[in-house]
Amino acid sequence: MSPDVLEGFFQATQANTIFAVAAGCLVGLIVGMIPGLTISTGIIIVLPLTFVLEPEISIALLLGLYVSGMTGGSFSAILLNIPGTPSASATALDGNPMAKRGEAGRALGIAITASFVGGLFSFLCLFLISPLLAEVALQFQSPDLFSLMLFGLTIICSFAAKSLVKGLLAAVIGLAIVTIGQDPMMGTQRFTFGQINLTAGIHFLTALIGLFAIPQLVDNFASLGKAASDDGNAAKIKSVLPKLADLKLMRLPISIGSPIGSFLGILPGAGGPIAAFISYDYTRKLSKNPEEFGKGSTQGIAAPEAANNAVTGGALIPMMTLGIPGDPVTAILIAALLIHGLVPGPLLFIENGEFAYGVIFSFFWANIFNIIIALIGLRFLVKVLVIPRTLLMPSIAILCVIGSYALRNNFFDVYVMFGFGMLGLAMRWLDMPVVPLLLAMVLGRQIEEHLRVSLIASKNDITVFFTSPFSLFFLCLAAASVFWSFWAEHKTKQKQKQQI
Amino acid sequence: MLNLKHVIMGTAAAALMMASGQAKAEWPEKAIEFIIPFGGGADVEGRMIAKAMSDVLGQPVVPVSKIGGGGAIAYTHVKNSKPDGYTVAWNSTSILTTTNIGNVPFDYTALDHIGQVAQQPVPFVVSAKARWNTLKEFMAECKAKPNTLKIAFAGFGSATHMAGVALTNAMGCKPIMLPVKGADRRKMILSGETDAAVDIFFVPLKMVKAGKSKFLAISSGKRNPAAPNVPTAKELGVDMEFDLFRGLSVAKGTPQAIKDKLEAAMIKAAASKKFSGRMKKLKITLAPMGQKAFAAKLKKANANIVSIMKKAGMYQAKAKK
Repeated sequence: MSPDVLEGFFQATQANTIFAVAAGCLVGLIVGMIPGLTISTGIIIVLPLTFVLEPEISIALLLGLYVSGMTGGSFSAILLNIPGTPSASATALDGNPMAKRGEAGRALGIAITASFVGGLFSFLCLFLISPLLAEVALQFQSPDLFSLMLFGLTIICSFAAKSLVKGLLAAVIGLAIVTIGQDPMMGTQRFTFGQINLTAGIHFLTALIGLFAIPQLVDNFASLGKAASDDGNAAKIKSVLPKLADLKLMRLPISIGSPIGSFLGILPGAGGPIAAFISYDYTRKLSKNPEEFGKGSTQGIAAPEAANNAVTGGALIPMMTLGIPGDPVTAILIAALLIHGLVPGPLLFIENGEFAYGVIFSFFWANIFNIIIALIGLRFLVKVLVIPRTLLMPSIAILCVIGSYALRNNFFDVYVMFGFGMLGLAMRWLDMPVVPLLLAMVLGRQIEEHLRVSLIASKNDITVFFTSPFSLFFLCLAAASVFWSFWAEHKTKQKQKQQI
Repeated sequence: MLNLKHVIMGTAAAALMMASGQAKAEWPEKAIEFIIPFGGGADVEGRMIAKAMSDVLGQPVVPVSKIGGGGAIAYTHVKNSKPDGYTVAWNSTSILTTTNIGNVPFDYTALDHIGQVAQQPVPFVVSAKARWNTLKEFMAECKAKPNTLKIAFAGFGSATHMAGVALTNAMGCKPIMLPVKGADRRKMILSGETDAAVDIFFVPLKMVKAGKSKFLAISSGKRNPAAPNVPTAKELGVDMEFDLFRGLSVAKGTPQAIKDKLEAAMIKAAASKKFSGRMKKLKITLAPMGQKAFAAKLKKANANIVSIMKKAGMYQAKAKK
């Protein structure tokens, strides 16, 4: 074991890092729980803080938020039958029926425990796979990296959208936005129209705040009158510690959900919601009592919860080793690292090994604090569900403005943020996914740089992309992911036609 | 990058001022904005000197990062700020490159310069396994086979580009120049994708110490104590001297008394135990220098950069004469 592992452990176990993880978990549970606030919104709330904190502390805070947000989403899914985050949709299927039977505490206990084990499993994957993958990735040259990122983009598009064309279109818009500002290689101004504020380009986080928060605020405003009611489920919470019989039943869903979640986490774009439903489906097929599913089955709660928390560790693997984000949260983590001058990628393990392992161990602590805070604080935390939206939403609107201003201390960015808010509304109206756009903004610069460096180095010989085995492999995968989703789309359309 | 602290301190300072009945106090009577134009090393060092200066001045010196345009945004901001000494730029060699390559419509004299804090050489890096053991060997091969050897640098018009162009021009070598950002440059040395790189000093030094890469030459006039075995370009018969420097600038027309105070605070902060300790750890050469010496240095360095740029056909100054 390299000394970096130990140093990383100590870095993650310092009092202030641990405190940051715990604070992140608390915020995560709360934002995860409140329907209408996703994990991305939660991160927007703490974002300005991360600019001033030390890098290891801000990452610890964000990791706590990420892990606990996944768990918190299940609380409202169980108590209100409204998933707090999209990843908790599958949890509502069995969680809410169990709560309606008056066993809300039991359902929550199952969800929390399954989350914990799923998260821990993905920590092991992260800890064991990342250094190995970083070692391999160190050999990747510019053509390989270009093809790898191209594959990342196509697979994000195929997962994120019902219609591949709309997904690809969103990604292209993202790529176009990245070209604004200084050309990364030659320093030439592109599409700046003499605006000095545009020379630095449009920051990905500014776009993210607008795209995610503004449409959400508009939604919440539209549904102000409809207050959620928990039918007194929260009041009936007694013991949340799961019983031995439940623990025995949970073995199957957890051993299915954890690997599925971790694997889908590694693939860019798949993420929590898909992993949760796949895990739920498989568990039902393999369960001894599939007839209980949908009526408040223990296994039906544990399966999606183990999977969606296992996604978190999986998603950190490509982020740490390749610098490729799989979802908005890891994209934000990358941005947060870049702000502090730390570039995620294979070199991070060599040049800042103790930091890289520090991040991995902070993720471990996030899982530990997630279960502790969730189990102890549950009864107080659920009170958040009754906070009036009229108080909550204006505060978030203010934080959006602060967050986008504080990023570069430039008020111009606030207008840009509002502009992206409008774009987000338009895209929602057109049923276009925003995630491909965002991830294209994160990857766009690198795609361009790797493409151009490859071509300069090869004296404009385009065959370099096909002669390197790594590059060829990734290009084939990219093509396969596009064809696969066209084919899948075609099939569902045919099915729909037959039904008519 | 924000500053909640900035806002709070600013308000606190404003409140204090009102409380003192608007008495004309001595500069500085409120928080000073410390504009950092780059991330990475510049940001790390900038935050450290800002902290050290707060201790000396007794007012918060608040780091504010305004990244973009190779420094263009930060320098434009400071140039347009009130000349009252409350907005200070953490300058670097970029003040000479970004102004001569046409990013901004002014040259370096559009600002007043307080002095230099530190400088570092620009090294010529190859992999530890590379077949060249001296710069001469590399350049000889490069001369014999033009357009085959690859040299990575940070980006068009950057300090590493200037140094790379000057070095290869002087030795008559025609390489393939690859513009590559920060960490990727080190990675490309390891993976063998590029044959050499021009980098800033202290970051690849770690790799050299780890035995993964080696320096063939450095650009400054004197050998560097952190790598005493590496010859300077001058020793190798190349007539060049190039340093990456960092220091302070303010808006033109700032009163001389304030500039003198800033200079004194900067030099005192640079000499402080905490700051000099960190610089020593990072292997950055601390070389504090006041207004006069810095002005002379800037003049010389600017002429040097203009001549490199003109030779390479990149010179596009937009300053009105």
